[in-house]
Amino acid sequence: MTGDYTPVTDSVVAAIPLVRDAASSVALEGVTKSYGAVPAIRDLTLEARAGELLVLLGPSGCGKTTALRLVAGLEDPTSGTVRIGDQVVNDVDPRDRDVAMVFQSYALYPHLSVARNIEFPLRSRQVPVAERRQLVATVAESLRLTPLLDRKPAQLSGGQRQRVALARAIVRRPRAFLMDEPLSNLDAQLRVEMRAELVELHTRLGITILYVTHDQVEAMTMGQRIAILNDGVLQQLDTPEAVYERPANAFVAGFIGSPSMNILRGRLVAQGDNFYAAVPGGRVALSLPLRRAVEERGLEKVVVGLRPEALSLDPQGTITGVVSLVEMIGHEQHVALRLVGGQLVWVRIGGEAARMRTGEDVTVAARGTVHLFDPENGVRIEVGSAEEPEHSTGSANAPERSTDNAEHSDP
Amino acid sequence: MSARPGAGNARPETGNARARERRLSRAAHQAGVAYLFVLPALVVFGLFVFYPLVKTAYLGFFTTPPAPNLPSHYVGLTQYRSVLSSSDFRESLWRTVQFVLYTVPAGIVLGIALAMLANRRIAGIGIFRTIYSSTVATSTAVASVIFFTLLNPQVGLLSYWLGKKGGAGVLQSSSLALPAVSVVTIWQNIGFTFILMSAALQSVPEDLLEAARVDGASSWLRFRAVTIPLLSPMIFFATIVGIIGGFQAFGQIDILTQGGPNNHTLVLIYDIYQWAFKYDNTGYAAVLSVALFVILLLLTFAQFWYFQRRVFYAR
Repeated sequence: MTGDYTPVTDSVVAAIPLVRDAASSVALEGVTKSYGAVPAIRDLTLEARAGELLVLLGPSGCGKTTALRLVAGLEDPTSGTVRIGDQVVNDVDPRDRDVAMVFQSYALYPHLSVARNIEFPLRSRQVPVAERRQLVATVAESLRLTPLLDRKPAQLSGGQRQRVALARAIVRRPRAFLMDEPLSNLDAQLRVEMRAELVELHTRLGITILYVTHDQVEAMTMGQRIAILNDGVLQQLDTPEAVYERPANAFVAGFIGSPSMNILRGRLVAQGDNFYAAVPGGRVALSLPLRRAVEERGLEKVVVGLRPEALSLDPQGTITGVVSLVEMIGHEQHVALRLVGGQLVWVRIGGEAARMRTGEDVTVAARGTVHLFDPENGVRIEVGSAEEPEHSTGSANAPERSTDNAEHSDP
Repeated sequence: MSARPGAGNARPETGNARARERRLSRAAHQAGVAYLFVLPALVVFGLFVFYPLVKTAYLGFFTTPPAPNLPSHYVGLTQYRSVLSSSDFRESLWRTVQFVLYTVPAGIVLGIALAMLANRRIAGIGIFRTIYSSTVATSTAVASVIFFTLLNPQVGLLSYWLGKKGGAGVLQSSSLALPAVSVVTIWQNIGFTFILMSAALQSVPEDLLEAARVDGASSWLRFRAVTIPLLSPMIFFATIVGIIGGFQAFGQIDILTQGGPNNHTLVLIYDIYQWAFKYDNTGYAAVLSVALFVILLLLTFAQFWYFQRRVFYAR
């Protein structure tokens, strides 16, 4: 954190006493949105519970912003139901939905001063002038905008603009907040600061936030739950821990984590009591429960997922490769190994180890969790259940804390 | 720092002087090249703008003789005083102001309205855009002839609709002639204003209007508080161009009314034309021309001064 950073204080709560009472759930139920023949969102069901910070995460073009715009009313669903609180809002005009939106561009009115920008939603609702001024002053004070009230947006820094956009959203006491990549235009340091501020604001105000980002670090650090979308389809809706530890499919596995999970195609081999997946460059031993799960499905091939931290340098290891790239992060090294066949595998090595050299032959062992996915549809192979897992865990009732069904396996 | 003579610093001083000389010489050379580049434009402006301007002002100091072969008399500012204080000048100036007031605000409002209508994503909107902007491709003369026919009391469709068929025509009515000429002017200018406003509307960021919608603003508030301020540079431009164009409107008046009936459409520019080419009184016409020039100059300055704080230029 930089020196001038001071966290948002209780004054915001004092200023906006109605926010907590007004918080509502936001839900999409079986929503499909198509542009002509091109579907942007397909049969999407998810709910941000009242007071929850739910993050919509996915790569560019996955439909996350469209989902947000559907809630705001800026897009109409092709089919399905949009609900805010108990109210179905499909046919409700955006101005009557009582949600506030923070745009990626901040969408500040460039011709209006900061004060007039913050005041705009109150002016729209014909709040008496005296009350408007009072609310603007209080919110500006709490977000440290008071000295900037007479400035125009062009005279503000990125962080200040972001704060004004936030103030404009807060001042009207909406039922829910919709945020479309609000931190993406900030520099890395400011992004971390604002991330903390937003989380603190959410915690203190108890407001419902539907938050869109493509940054998985942002999603993991901010979201109480994360909904991961790809090609307009919900892949998984769960807590950050659960999506990291038990990714629903190979896409989620590859999308969450930095460096991302190593995904290797493997052929199942049984040698006496030993059971392993033969992968490029070696093999990965599988535990008995995993073996049972695979055998129950009658699979001969699997997709093996290994997080970089699940691999460690070990001369007795079972996977060999040539060091292709070394990224020194400071406290650790990210080492890319090129396996037989050319595939790269990332290994995370603690900072105390000597710096690896490119061209070096190394052997690694899989010591952490081994994730298996069906090679046909990419769905996670769960231990202890032969039934096909659901394609997505779109249920709003996600587990409080995930139980790791995958097994530790040691070669 | 005081310079003290001495062997030690004599050489550097000489060196400094040489360097200064070189700098000055380089600067003079650069200035010479710069003026050379400006020269062609200066010659053209001088010949076709500055010289006629000065010559016109000069002509205003002379009365035109009653017969062509007689010498003109230098009268100093007397002619300026007499012309500018005459009721004829005041009346033609007032008619010009009326004409501008009829044409400019209505033209801009209609231009914005049409641009808003055409700024929608609906099938076939391109056809409407073409129709709305088509008058820009119509000359003043053609537009005037079309309306002259439409307003003809014997065969004109508009005269028929207005219940004026057979009687005194609209263009012959002392109360309706100036409004009628104004309507023709608005119609003729609408294409240009429409194109200007359409271009400006395209540059209004969509997310601002969406933010205003989510902020609870009605369509009227969105228009008034977001769209109009962002259109303001173009509105300002259209206002200035419109006022200057209004003060210089000639073709439609010449074709439709020739300043009549009873001088009810005799605007300043047509007055100048009549004095110069009908009555051959170049001195009188020169005074009116200088007056028109000064009025437009002051008006434009006044508009810049007034709008400077009200127009928002995106940065």
